[in-house]
Amino acid sequence: MPPRVQNHPVVNSLLPYLSSPSTSSSSTISKIPTKYSSSPSLQSTSRQTCRSFSSTVAARTKLRTEMFAWLNGEGAALKTHVPGSNNYVSQLRNKRRAVEGDEEEEGRRIVPPFPLNPNFLSQPILSEELRDAIYDRVVNQKQSVRVVSVDLGVDMRRVGAVVRLVELEKRQKQQGKSMALPYARAIHEMVPTTPLYRNFRDNRINPHESINDLPVHRLTDPQIFYPVSESCQFNRVDAGRVFSAAPALENKQVVKNAANPTEVISRITRNPSRIEKIGKGEDEQQVLQPADARIPHPHLVAHERYRLSNPNERREVMNAYKQRIREEENAEKERKRIAKELRERQITRVQPESSRFEFRFKDVVVSKETTGTNGRGAQAPGRRYGVPSYDRKKGQVKIPTRVEV
Amino acid sequence: MVVRIRLARFGNKRQPFYNIVVAQARSARNSKPLEVIGTYNPVPQRPTNLSDEEARTARPIKEISLDQSRAKYWIGVGAQPSDTVWRLLGLAGIAEGKSKAPR
Repeated sequence: MPPRVQNHPVVNSLLPYLSSPSTSSSSTISKIPTKYSSSPSLQSTSRQTCRSFSSTVAARTKLRTEMFAWLNGEGAALKTHVPGSNNYVSQLRNKRRAVEGDEEEEGRRIVPPFPLNPNFLSQPILSEELRDAIYDRVVNQKQSVRVVSVDLGVDMRRVGAVVRLVELEKRQKQQGKSMALPYARAIHEMVPTTPLYRNFRDNRINPHESINDLPVHRLTDPQIFYPVSESCQFNRVDAGRVFSAAPALENKQVVKNAANPTEVISRITRNPSRIEKIGKGEDEQQVLQPADARIPHPHLVAHERYRLSNPNERREVMNAYKQRIREEENAEKERKRIAKELRERQITRVQPESSRFEFRFKDVVVSKETTGTNGRGAQAPGRRYGVPSYDRKKGQVKIPTRVEV
Repeated sequence: MVVRIRLARFGNKRQPFYNIVVAQARSARNSKPLEVIGTYNPVPQRPTNLSDEEARTARPIKEISLDQSRAKYWIGVGAQPSDTVWRLLGLAGIAEGKSKAPR
């Protein structure tokens, strides 16, 4: 490919406006061709010579001149962002209308990004301080995500995301990459932010978001009309069993559960693998648990129950709360350790000398149970035969849409 | 008729993925086999969740899933692994390693 002929005049006519805004428009325009012409008398001829390769008409219309005049005159006010305001053209008009308006800065003010749209309401975002506090607590103070979430009123998934993103930011800073700080600053001015209060109790009272939302379970989608006699007690546990079509609990068990509901819930949350299963083969699934066990922070319910039963013993309630969280964390750690061990036991790693790869052999089972009667069982290894793969079909989402923490 | 342990190609264009299958030697590559005993993903995967030092020395991973007892059984009854499968079984410690099969 031959080298491209550079269109010098056009490039140079734009440059001065972009790089030196201070000069007045008329002087800059007259200065353009100085690179090529030594004296003003030669200006027209030299312009022609340097335009000889260009097929475009000389771009010196009246509108263009006016545009540059505006850019260097009135419009220059929009070149830089003034904190506490958004950079809209309409601002200039307002300023012109009320030159002596007494607009005073009163601390941090939220400037809506779309002033003409009163229906635009943004959810609050984390302030920089809160974000740094979350990272500090999780990484430096080694607090668990659960505790940080409860203390600062931020969802556990968001806590995880904050930690990952701050980590990423640190790495980028280390690599000397530039940060989009002006952008971040502008966004933080435009949308409400959740501050970090000096006392974290205030953060708990004014949480960033609701942290204990019950996720919608697929089994609860259908409406079920289930007749229950008035003499029967029907609670959330029973409702879960009805939704998953499990037989009702025996009366003895119901009485036992009612005596100590906290114990029942903690037993479920600490040993999720021991939840009763129902169904056969591929349809086997866990019985739907009551909402108290499915919320992200079941321990808060237990805490509240204990607090109400011991209203005057604040210290003991706090100690019990800490103890409960510790137990919960230990159980979770143990669970994760066992799961990891199991996974490791199934995998053999081979690192041959002659190869630069590591080969991981995972043990699988091919049997009548896994392949099923028609040979298409989901637990058997390998891609299926005679089953179309729908991955090229429209509407198949391949990017993960959520992150499980 | 010889029974072979060989690979059957699945996956899309430029994304190979193989089933390790036991099949009659003269049957087509992707025809229904006697049995699927595992899978082989030849596309090396980057190991994740590593510290910086670990990441420097970590090798890319090739994932294989295999039912070892079935593989041993089929070799025991005379199934002949193809070259590639022989290499994989050698790595798994099921078959003895061998140089390329004589042609």
